[in-house]
Amino acid sequence: MRSVTLYHWEPNANSGKPMLALMEKGVAFNSHYLDLLNFDQHQPDYLAINPQGTIPAMLHGERVLTESTAIMEYVDEEFPGPRLMPEDPRDRWRVRWWMKLMDQWLGPSFSMIGWKVFVGPAVSSRDPGELEAAIERIPLPERRVAWRKAIYGQFSEEELRESQRRVALGIAMLEQELAKRPWLASNQYSLADINGFNLAYALPLSQPALSNDELTPNTLRWLRAIYARPATKACWAMGRTSMVRRVTILEQPHIGAGHVT
Amino acid sequence: MSMTLYHGEPNGPSLAVLATLFAKEVRAELVRIDLGSGQRHGLPCAQEPRVAMSVEGEGPVLVVEGEAMTDSVFIACYLDDVGQGAALRPADPYGRWETMRWCRQVTERTAPAAAYLGCRAHPPRADAALLERIGSVDLRARWEQVTAGRLSDDRLPDCRSKIRQAVENIEARLEARQWLMGAFSIADIESFAWLTGMVALVPAAFVGKPRTRQWLERVRAQPAVAQALSLARSADPAASWSVGPEINRWG
Repeated sequence: MRSVTLYHWEPNANSGKPMLALMEKGVAFNSHYLDLLNFDQHQPDYLAINPQGTIPAMLHGERVLTESTAIMEYVDEEFPGPRLMPEDPRDRWRVRWWMKLMDQWLGPSFSMIGWKVFVGPAVSSRDPGELEAAIERIPLPERRVAWRKAIYGQFSEEELRESQRRVALGIAMLEQELAKRPWLASNQYSLADINGFNLAYALPLSQPALSNDELTPNTLRWLRAIYARPATKACWAMGRTSMVRRVTILEQPHIGAGHVT
Repeated sequence: MSMTLYHGEPNGPSLAVLATLFAKEVRAELVRIDLGSGQRHGLPCAQEPRVAMSVEGEGPVLVVEGEAMTDSVFIACYLDDVGQGAALRPADPYGRWETMRWCRQVTERTAPAAAYLGCRAHPPRADAALLERIGSVDLRARWEQVTAGRLSDDRLPDCRSKIRQAVENIEARLEARQWLMGAFSIADIESFAWLTGMVALVPAAFVGKPRTRQWLERVRAQPAVAQALSLARSADPAASWSVGPEINRWG
């Protein structure tokens, strides 16, 4: 049988998507941890696998797969185990619509805020010359811009305000949708939920004024239901940083509007 | 099953969905709207989140049993599932991954650049009253840029470079095949729909790319694509543009 190797960072955002999909399917995989904060993803040995230098990437035998959302669809179709895409074609469309909104509209806003408070400060104390050299090794020009802004704290007030506006609207959209059905895009647990959890698992901590049991009860119900799944527990146990340990907020039975940690 | 497709001139996402609809022999009522004037925002479904917040910008809307669907690639996947005739995605999971990855690169990197260049060269004439109804703040901001003639030169090198990269990818991909995924697929339709208008606007990208040029003609000659293009009301539908997806905000 062809082996599966996943090159990933923390169970968070794009890395966490194929990690959790593989674990839900019960697919054993070799975990190859790349330290995003050490720029492992821009080192020659990884660039030989994914020349764009983005995380994650998956090897399945000789096959090299990139783009986390497309990898998840591959994982679901290629391997036995519970189906993570609904049968109904319109439900499948809804799953993809939501994943795109999260990947391309909501996710970048969450991550801009996350990079400002977590990624930027985590690396900015390093040697300036080394940092500049690390930035220059990034293959995609737009990723160079992204890293430079995060490291040097160059996000403008206007950019951050826009990201916060989108995060607030995204939270409201999620809540509205989750009031209609148990899972995000259909009546069964799907890749849209895996994608969404990776984006939103720490929501009551990162956005306490916008997401809590009083304001967004359906979203909290949904997050707790995903966190209760054995695959999610096993996946988040692979985390190495304090960032992903924020998930334990979901163990609290009630997170009120006044909650601030 | 009752279906209505609201579409614009056959270019970009409207061309992609129309061609897929015809290729899959799906029956739908076709309702033409002027995406360039913002007419989509006058539709009864305009304020539904999945229309108002579509990442694609001003694209077609397929209404199936009352549910309004947007995003040309995903509508195409849906039509591929429910329609007849040859499949428009490979059968094996790896080929399907390649198709979805390819289309993601087109919609995330090529389409925003093409729409920017297209709107700059052929500005859509928006109806101010319709624009008042836009539900998405960021889509409205992109419209305001277009209508105020504020599509700056600063973005041109990046946009042209993204078109050049897309053509290079196609040229390389076609080295050993006629179609991007082996058989004619959603990847050909989506790539053609965004790039056919770029031949006139970024001609340098197509210089020395014989396989891509021949492929453009092969796609154009596909019966479903020809049928979609025959719906054009303008002399050159490839010059018909409206506000597209956002250019990546921060890398």
